[in-house]
Formats: sequence, structure tokens, C-alpha cells
Amino acid sequence: MVNGSVDLDYYERAKGGKFDLDWMRSVRSEWGIRAKPSKTGLTLRDIAVSSYGMVPDHAPRRTMAPRGCDVRDDVPDMGYTLNDKAEVWSDNLMELYEEAVSRQWSATRDIPWSELPELDPDLEHAMCQFATFLSEVEMVASDFPAKWLWRINHDFVEAKMFLCTQIMDEARHTEVFRKRALAGGGGLGQASPVAERFLKLVLDAQSYDEGSALMHLLAEGLVLSVFRAGELLAPSPVEKRIFRLCMQDEARHVAYGTMHLRYRLEEDPSLAEDFHAYLDQGEDIIAVLFTTPAIVEPAAILAAGSLKAAEETGLVASDIVRTRVVEEYLDRCDRAGLPRRERMRLPAAMLAGTSAGVSEDGGAGSIAASQVV
Amino acid sequence: MSTLQADALSVDDFPSEAWFARIVADAKDRPEVYRSLGVASFRLVIEITEAPGHARRFGLVLDGYDIDSAGEIVDLPAFAPDATITAPLEAWKEMLANIEDNGGADRLHSLNALTLAEVPMRVTAADPMGRDRFFRYVETLQTLFDSIGRPSALSP
Repeated sequence: MVNGSVDLDYYERAKGGKFDLDWMRSVRSEWGIRAKPSKTGLTLRDIAVSSYGMVPDHAPRRTMAPRGCDVRDDVPDMGYTLNDKAEVWSDNLMELYEEAVSRQWSATRDIPWSELPELDPDLEHAMCQFATFLSEVEMVASDFPAKWLWRINHDFVEAKMFLCTQIMDEARHTEVFRKRALAGGGGLGQASPVAERFLKLVLDAQSYDEGSALMHLLAEGLVLSVFRAGELLAPSPVEKRIFRLCMQDEARHVAYGTMHLRYRLEEDPSLAEDFHAYLDQGEDIIAVLFTTPAIVEPAAILAAGSLKAAEETGLVASDIVRTRVVEEYLDRCDRAGLPRRERMRLPAAMLAGTSAGVSEDGGAGSIAASQVV
Repeated sequence: MSTLQADALSVDDFPSEAWFARIVADAKDRPEVYRSLGVASFRLVIEITEAPGHARRFGLVLDGYDIDSAGEIVDLPAFAPDATITAPLEAWKEMLANIEDNGGADRLHSLNALTLAEVPMRVTAADPMGRDRFFRYVETLQTLFDSIGRPSALSP
């Protein structure tokens, strides 16, 4: 059979038991390689053996042929555009994929919805607005990898598989926060133009590099810290469990983003300035988020326990979260090989209490938050 | 300070190798719970500061679905932790008493809540990726510590 034409002669021969068996007799892939399960089962790491475990730095072809198989010349070109390993790889991919599959949970089954208490209306409003924001922003971390997934060469299938788990994780986060908003009677609150400008920046990224830096490192790092804060501020065990489970998922995505950037920069250090420029843009918008009432005030009310108490304490709790957001982000940038302590673009007032450098003109960033609004 | 059953270990027995061995034994008695939470890979040190310059350290190892106690850690580099949770003894005891009294940590006494502001507890790591493992497995860790709130958890 050539190029998909129907070979009726072969069909007749095979009906009579005269098989071709070329696929068995002359296959050029490795025979006798036996992957052995480790203690949790047969993992991706366990099957990364011999030639099957060799991930090429540059994919030799652009097909969906499983890496290590015998590829015929007439397999069509899929038109992949990400054909270099460094564009998508990280050394923790296999571990993260296995972990993601193993640590899946259900927003329907695993949250004790029946224990959701009746909250004070101000608290319910705050929780619903918080949930609205999270339901709004989480889906971008599905949309972005989905947009790029089909462009990634199949030789880097572990990266594609991990991104699929992220897509599922973020769908579940969108689901669970939508459910929380509706389960307590408060319903959905206001959408955020500022947040959506950031989401658009991620979706419109001209390269996977740009989008991944903005999303995996900056945005998901921020959301991971927000989930940590959410777990503390949770008004009931229902939200507490939601935030803990989401936190676990988000930390995997951040772990991929950090180590991917590190791998990318180790392979090509000249890209550092490009990544700095991507993060400059993202940080300018993040700065505005820190001064957006619909984002800052719900957290303040949840932290204080009531609107009245929040009016007395102001943004004390939010400031703790902001400090942690900045420090954890800067630590990850360091780990990725892209130190930004002297370059972070939040206004100086928002860097108080952090280790980020503040320039003598009073602004750590070269752009004021108000310029972005 | 509340205690569990008369013949059981109590919060007063914290920190000790026996105490950690007992919560690990409880985890091994409920493999289905930890299996449902998923695999983990984490070497964690629980550090208890009792006086300036004096700390005791105990190791926990999460490996796949297994949870093991590494006992008291004397040679920290040899244990090679991914991360350390450090707090004064009184903060640990307050957390454990809260878990015991409520059957699980309340809003302000979960591991995440107590470490978020870095007071009274801190999660530290030489590598931020090691620190992020604390977040990746936080539900497993909370379940482990919450087990002392189960009536039979610390019974011999």
C-alpha cells in the first residue's frame, strides 16, 4: 500500500492467509528492551530506556510517530513549529506528569460541599468575588498550552503530556471556583478588565517562550501564593480544602515553568534579555492588580473576618501576601537563572518589605502602575 | 494540654522519635487514604527550636505512596532535605493541641496558614524547588499531621 491507496490485491491475499509481515520481519526499532516497573508502577522514567529514552535536541522529523519507532518515509509532515527540545523541555517533566496523574481530584466528589456554612453576607460577597476572579483567570492556563500543544514536536511527547495534565488541572480550578460562587448563594461577582489584559498578554504571546514565562513563572507563581493566602483566609473547611488541592496543582505548573526556563537559558543564555522583556510587561500589569479593589478588598475582608474589621485593619493581610508573592517569584527567577531582584518593575511602595532592589528615584520599576491603567 | 487515651502518646510526647513513628504507623494503617492523595517525593525536616541556638530535627520521607520517619536527624547534610519547617516548640505544640481538640487543624492552624507569613513557622530550603514541594504535597502533609486528631491515632 502506497500513500493510503486501497490495495485490493493485498486484501485478497490476506483473506487467504498470505500475510505481508513486513511490520514484523524488518522493523528497525529496538527489540528486547524490557522496561521494568519501579515501586509505584511503570512510570515514564521507567520506560525512558535505551533509544526510547533518548530525546533529541532537534527533532529529525515532524511526524506523530512515537519516539523510537520505525518511521517510514511516507509519513506526512505535521508542520510542527517547536522542534527544538530546549523550547519546551524541563528535567522534571516526567516526575511532574506522574505526579499530576496520581494526584488528580474531583471538584464534584472531593470537596465537602454539604458542609458549606451560611456566611455573613459581606463575607459571602468577598468569597464570591474572590472565586469569580479565580474562575476568570484560571482557564488561561488551559487555553495557553492548548494553543501551543499541536505545534510541539511529538518527539517531546512528555512535555505535551504534562501540558495536557495542566489543561485538565486548570479546567478543574475554573470549575471549583465557579461552583463555590454558586454554592453559597452569592453567585458570580465582577469580571476584571485588568486581569483580562494580563490574560490577553499570555494568549497573544508571539512565542511559547514568551507565554510560558508570563504564565508558568509569573502568573502561576502569583496564583500559587494567592491559593496559599486563600487557604489561610478560607471562611470554612470547604474553601480550605479547595485551596489546598488547587495549591498542589499550581505548584506543579510553577515547577515546570521554573525548570523549563532554566533549561532554556542553559541551552541559550543569549535569550535572557528577551525573557526579562516579557516579564517586564507582565509585572507592569501585575502591579495594577495589586491596586484593583475587586481583587484586593475581598482578601482584606476575608482576612479580617468582616467588612467592619477590615476597614480597621486595612491591607495588613494583603501586604503579607504581596510580600510572599514577590519573594517567592524572585526566588524562582533566581533558580531559573534569570535574577530580577534589581529589575522588578513593581512600584517601590509595593516592594516594601521585600528583597527587591529599589532605585534612587523611588521606583523599582521604570513604569508607574498608573501608566498602565 | 489535652491528651488522648490514657495509654496513648500525647502532645506532651512531641517531639520524639516515638511520636513521629506513631503518626507514620497511623499512615501505614490507612494506605487507601494516602494512595488517594497520590504519589509524592519529599524529604522534609521538622525543626523544633527550643532555646536560642538549640534545635531538634526529625526527618519525614515521602516516597511514592510510602511515608517513613527518618528519626531524629543529627547529620543534616547526610539527610539531604528538600525543605525544612521550623518553629519554636510552643508553636508546634499549639498546632498539635489545636488539631487534637478539633479533630484536624482549624482555619488558623494548618501547616500552610502557620507558614504563610513566616511567623510562627517557616518553610526554608536551599533550593526554591524544594520549598515548592511543600506546596505540591501540602494535602498529604496536612492529612498526616491531622491524623493525631483521630481518636485512635496515637494509641499504641
